[in-house]
Amino acid sequence: MTPAGTRTGQPLPVALLLPGQGAQHVRMAAGLYGHEPAFSAAMDEFFDAAGAEGDALRRDWLAERPRTDMDHVTRSQPLLFAVGHALGRTALDRGLRPTALLGHSIGEMAAATLAGVFRLPDATGLVLDRVRRLAGAPPGGMLAVAASTAEVAPYLRGQVVVGAVNTPRQTVLAGPDEPLEAAGRALREAGFVCRRVPSLSPFHSPVLEPACRGAAERFAAVERHLPSVPVHSAYTAAPLTRSDIDDPGFWAGQPVAPVLFWPALEALLAGGDHLLVDVGPGQGLSAVARRHPAVRRGTSAVVSLLPPRPGAPEADRAGLDAALRRLEAAGHPVVRGPGRTGAPEHSVA
Amino acid sequence: MSAFTLEDLFTIMRECAGEEESVDLADTAALQEFAELGYDSLALMEALSRVERAYDVELPEETLGEALTPAAFVDAVNAALAARTPAVEAAG
Repeated sequence: MTPAGTRTGQPLPVALLLPGQGAQHVRMAAGLYGHEPAFSAAMDEFFDAAGAEGDALRRDWLAERPRTDMDHVTRSQPLLFAVGHALGRTALDRGLRPTALLGHSIGEMAAATLAGVFRLPDATGLVLDRVRRLAGAPPGGMLAVAASTAEVAPYLRGQVVVGAVNTPRQTVLAGPDEPLEAAGRALREAGFVCRRVPSLSPFHSPVLEPACRGAAERFAAVERHLPSVPVHSAYTAAPLTRSDIDDPGFWAGQPVAPVLFWPALEALLAGGDHLLVDVGPGQGLSAVARRHPAVRRGTSAVVSLLPPRPGAPEADRAGLDAALRRLEAAGHPVVRGPGRTGAPEHSVA
Repeated sequence: MSAFTLEDLFTIMRECAGEEESVDLADTAALQEFAELGYDSLALMEALSRVERAYDVELPEETLGEALTPAAFVDAVNAALAARTPAVEAAG
């Protein structure tokens, strides 16, 4: 295959993609812990900042059989935030200089933190506050449907809403279990393919609105800065503005608002081709990005830092090494290592 | 016997994707993983469902987890078609 992004001789600008709910799995990215210095340091900073909850989070993250289900909001959300942020830090440490960040759902908090909108200790506190609120919210779930938003519209009833627009043919519904199941049955009867998203909460639906009341005060209480790199918001399908950043309600309402990932990706690529680097577990956003016409044409490209599915710890490291080789081949100077902080030197090649 | 071809699969995959532009799925795509080709697991489930309906065949659920490439998917469909044949003959 032609190395991505070398056709014009100029390397494509890099955009990092940070995933949200659905990407989590047992021991996600854990193979890099203790091996990739920037990743390990960022994870440890997060666990320290999590205070009393940090040890339980680390233990469940590293466990083959976590005590609390990885799909539960108290595990998936903080760990996706931490892993997305730490992988982003790894990318920076390895020499990538992204010109844009785009996160899905909780990935937007990770992107904002990576860009310095929030300090990591503050962001950790905000994420844990969000989790405590959501853990007490009514249960529910999410259902991915192979259909457009227009096609699912007739099936939205009561508290079942569009929670995420992932691609023109992948719409995610969110809502309480019973009406969501009813909507799923009706959609299947009409011939649409549906699949439950691993989530025990109805993210991005009004069901969570009461639980999020009061979160804005927490956001208002922390320092917020303009991002060092443009953060493209999947809630506005545009780069974060100063007024977005200044508005505590914008952040506090994210678990309730729909994720417009595809429109945000379209807006990003409408501004120019990019090398899209998926800095998360599972390659879910890579698959979404590969649907984009610019990627299918080959003018934009996708590189995933981690393997497509859970595997041995070595697979995480091999995945990162392979991704770094692809980035180098695409014209991006890559810092070799791990081991720059004293561990034995490994060859990247 | 090979009742189901790569070209059949690619046609169905294009329909699932609702692709406006014709995407060139070359023969080299046969051995690439679906994810590499831009087909997530939901799109793959849809392709599987369409194949089942169009060919009146039932594909084991493991097909999705095990057939990671178009070539492997085509093999799985043909295995299912072959397994079905005696039953159809008996019924006829």
